[in-house]
Amino acid sequence: MIQHEQTSLMKALSGVARDGAARAGRGLSGLMGQEIRIHVPAVRVGTRVDACEAVGGEETVVLGAYLTITGDIAGHVMLLFPMQRALECVDFMCGYPAGTTIEPDEMAESAISELGNIVGSAFVNALADHLGLVLHPSPPIVVNDMAVALVESVYAEILAAGAEVVMIDTVFEDTAGRATGLLLVAPDSQTLSKIQEKAA
Amino acid sequence: MNASVIAPTRQAVGIGQIVISKAPDVVLVAYGLGSCVGIAVYDEATSTAGMAHVLLPLSEGHAVDPAEPARYGDTAVNALLTAMTQAGARTQRLIVKLAGGASVLGHTTSPTFKVGQRNADSIREQFKQRGMVIAAEELGGNRGRTLELHPATGKAFVRLAASTAVEL
Repeated sequence: MIQHEQTSLMKALSGVARDGAARAGRGLSGLMGQEIRIHVPAVRVGTRVDACEAVGGEETVVLGAYLTITGDIAGHVMLLFPMQRALECVDFMCGYPAGTTIEPDEMAESAISELGNIVGSAFVNALADHLGLVLHPSPPIVVNDMAVALVESVYAEILAAGAEVVMIDTVFEDTAGRATGLLLVAPDSQTLSKIQEKAA
Repeated sequence: MNASVIAPTRQAVGIGQIVISKAPDVVLVAYGLGSCVGIAVYDEATSTAGMAHVLLPLSEGHAVDPAEPARYGDTAVNALLTAMTQAGARTQRLIVKLAGGASVLGHTTSPTFKVGQRNADSIREQFKQRGMVIAAEELGGNRGRTLELHPATGKAFVRLAASTAVEL
C-alpha cells in the first residue's frame, strides 16, 4: 500500500473505529455492570503482536470469542479477556456471587460466547452504519489459548488470502485501570477498498 | 560451596525472524505459535542453535523482506540453513525439530487455507528436498504452543497454554 493511500485509509478507519469502540464499550459496560473506559482504538498496519500486552503479554492465557464478518464485506473480529477477568465477567453475567466460576466450564464458554456476540456485533453494526452496508457476524467460536497464538493466527488467515493486515485494537479498562479486554477487528482487503471509497 | 549457576535469559524469536545463538545461557523462544511453525536446529559439534518463526507456507512470488527472512516456509528453511552455516555449523550435522501449525481459531477458518497444516507441509517439503531428517515434531491440533531451544544442551521443549514444558 502506498503512503498517501495508507494515510487516507487510516483516517477513514479511525472514525469508524472510534464509533465502533464506543458502541462495543457500552455493550461491555452493561454486561459487566461497571463503568468501562475505552482507549481510543489504534489502527495499525502490519504484523506486530504488541496488542497482546493489553491482556497481559504474549503467553497470557485468554478466554474470548472469535467471529468472522460476512455479507457485503468480510473480516475478522476477536474479543479477548485475561482469564481471571473473563471468569469475573461470567459470574456477573450469570448472577453468581463473585469467585464462583473458577475455570472455563461449559457455562463460562456460553457466557463468553454471548459477550463476544454482543460486543463484536456492536462494532460490526457501527461499521455497517458508517459504510451503508449489510454485514452478518458469524456465530462466535470460543477461544481459550495463549493470546499471541490467537492473534498471529488471525494475521496468517488474512495474509494467506493475499491481503495486508490492518488491525484495529480497542483496549477496555475498568475504573481501577485494570485491563478488562481487548477487541481486535481486522477487515479484509476488499473491505479496506470500500472504506477508502467511502472516505474519498 | 555451591557452584554458581547462571540463569538463562530468553531471546524471543518473533514472527518471520531467524535467530542464531552460540551463547549457552541464551535460550531461543518462539512464543505462542498458533498456525505459525517454529523450526529449531542444533549443531552439537559447534553448539550452534538456530530458530525460525514461519508465518505463511509459500512466498508465491512475494519478495522476502530482509527484516522477516522466515516469513514464508518455502524460503525460511534456506535462510535458516545459510545463517547456521555462516555461524560455523554444518548442515549435515543439524538436528531439526518442528512445532506449531495448529488451528486455534476453530472450524470457522476457511478450509481452503488451513494455514497451519500448509505451513507444516511446506517446511517438511523443504527439508525432504535436502535429504534432511526431522528428528522430532509436535504439529497440528488446535492448541497454541511455545517452542524453546537451549543452546547449552541442544534440547528443545514445547509448552501448551498454562502447562509445563515437555521435551520435544
